[in-house]
Formats: sequence, C-alpha cells, structure tokens
Amino acid sequence: MIHDLDPRIHGALDGELDRAALTPEERALVERLDAAARALSGTPVVPGLSRRVMGIIRRPLASPVARFRRWLTSPQPVTLSLRPVYSLVIAALLAAVLWRGPVPAPMLGAHEGVAQFVARFPEAHSVAVVGAFNDWRPEATPLADDDHDGVWDARVILPAGQHEYMFVVDGERWVSDPLAGRYVDDGFGRQNAVLVVRPVRAE
Amino acid sequence: MTAGGGPSDAEAIAQVLAGDVEAFGVLITRYESGLLRFATRMLGSRDAAADAVAEGLVRAYRHLATCRDPARFRTWVYRIVANRCKSHLARRPIGDVSLDDVPPVAAPEDAGEGLERSEQLERLERALARLAPEKREAFVLKHLDGMSYEEMSVVTGARIPTLKMRVHRAREALLAALKESP
Repeated sequence: MIHDLDPRIHGALDGELDRAALTPEERALVERLDAAARALSGTPVVPGLSRRVMGIIRRPLASPVARFRRWLTSPQPVTLSLRPVYSLVIAALLAAVLWRGPVPAPMLGAHEGVAQFVARFPEAHSVAVVGAFNDWRPEATPLADDDHDGVWDARVILPAGQHEYMFVVDGERWVSDPLAGRYVDDGFGRQNAVLVVRPVRAE
Repeated sequence: MTAGGGPSDAEAIAQVLAGDVEAFGVLITRYESGLLRFATRMLGSRDAAADAVAEGLVRAYRHLATCRDPARFRTWVYRIVANRCKSHLARRPIGDVSLDDVPPVAAPEDAGEGLERSEQLERLERALARLAPEKREAFVLKHLDGMSYEEMSVVTGARIPTLKMRVHRAREALLAALKESP
C-alpha cells in the first residue's frame, strides 16, 4: 500500500534538506530508502557486449539501394528447401559441420568444433568470413580458392554453439551466405547467416 | 583527459567523428555497466537489457554527429537506451516485467543475514517491477544512476516537477514493500 511520505524525507533524499535536521525516525526512513537503492544497484555482467557492439559498428552500413537489391537477389530459406541441388549442398555442409570424427587440428578442445565455410564467388579476388568469433574483422579469417574454380573455403575451429556470420567479398562487399540454412536479422537491416557448431567429444 | 587518464567524452567523440571507429570503445567501456543496470531494472531481464543497450549504443554511434553537446554524452546515450527500453516494453503485454534474470545479490556476510537480504531484495524488485515504467525509470535514474533532476529531464524529456513526483511515488511504493511481511 502506498502512503504519503513527509516532504522533509523527500527533501533530504533529494539533497535539498540537511539530514542532520531530520528527526531520528525520519532519518531511519531515509537510511532505509538509501539501503533499498543500494540493494537494487547490482550491475549485471554481460560478457561480450562491447565486442558485439564494436563488431556491428565496424561493419559498413548497407545503403537502402543495396538492401533492396539484396532483398531481390537473396534466396529465401523456403526456396532453398525446395531445390534439390541446394539441398544437397546444404546437406554436405551440415555433414561437414556436424561431423564428429577425428580432426587434423591438434589443439581442438572438447568444447570446440570445426566449422567449414564454403562459398562460390567466381568473380572474387578475395573472400573472408566474419562473425563475433573474429570481431567481424575481414582480415582475420580469409577463405582460399587454391584451384581457382571460384569455390572458396576455410575450416575454422570455433567454440561449440551458435555463430552468426557473413562473407566479405573483395574486402568491401558484405554478403549473407546464400546456402545457410538459417538466418537472423541483426536489427540493423542485414541478415546474418547462422551456423551451429557441435563440440568434439573427449575420448 | 579524465581523472582516470583516458580521453574525455568530448575527445573520444571527436576521434570517432574524425574516423577512428575504435575510439567508440572508450565510451562503451565507460557507460556499459551503468546502461546495463538501468536497462535491466527497466526490463527485468538481463538478455533483453543487453539487446536494448547494444541497439542503443549502435544508434548512438550512427548518430554521433547529432550529439550537440559531447560533454553531455552520458545523458544523450541514456536517452537513446531509455527509448530502446520503451520500445521493448511496448512490444510486451501491459505491466509484463519479468524478474527472471535480474542481477545477483551480493555475497552475504552470514547465511541468516543473506537470506533476509535476499527476501528484501526480492520484495524490492517486485515493487519496482509493479511500478509504471515512467516511475520506475525516474527512480532508477535518480537513485541507481545518481542523476540530478536536470539530467533526468534531458534523458526522459519530462519536466522536473513531474520527475520529482514520479520519484516520490516510487520511493513510497518501495518503502511500503519493505514494510510488508515476508
């Protein structure tokens, strides 16, 4: 039940009245409210928030024209599920991601997995994958096209779990993976592809 | 420079506007915890608060050139995050502020005292969550973030007498909650 407090108590809490001028009963109420505020002032810890924000702002902002063009040209998830060729490629990618067999990387931890990123960009001179796992830095994880067939790939050890990512083509064009099975809106007009990495179980 | 040795808000903003994106990290580090506490108390959920703060900080970065008084970046960014919180609340059913994920209670000195503190904190959190959002906002800005009524007016857009009334009502509600039997 809310009751009216003496204005002197509000005045003291607002710094408009010297607390020494309060009666002991009034001072007790002021101290009780001070204690309540202190109890409520715990600060939550959200690991990675700063990296998340910096990762977003390091990315160039898509122009409205580019967003509209991407909307026109990006295949939708429902389209992918209806096309056998795409489905086969997705299945192959998922199999690579979910594969739990021995991996060549010697330092793979029990809570890590191997993600394989594959993309076809025949005209590209460079392709990189970016995500929170590399602070969205295009220079951090380049893909390779050793046989120059336009198919770029990279295998990356990542912590188990869900990862959002995009491809960066020629260092400046940010592209959602058209073969990803899942996408999420990043809240700023772009669609991040989503990848789930399974952990490698310890022997 | 600030007392802590880093660049002032105005200096960091000038660096960002001159093209040094990384300088925005100084501002994030400086205000992240306060904004998270504010948003968590407004939304009752750490995850929702993290989303609101991240969205607010990105918006602040994108519109940094419109910050008229860089020395008062704090109230400017609080206003942006406060508006993000209002948008989040507007998408929920009226009065729906969950308490599923609020900050943990500080470690008690002994178990009995800790239990009593925990019960009191729970009553306070529920009382705060039951308040109308504008009263909750006013109380948090005043007592948890330590703002003056002038600063609160910049953040909320409300007049100072209105803010005082909101804070007074919030105090009375919390005091009443503390008087309730466990």
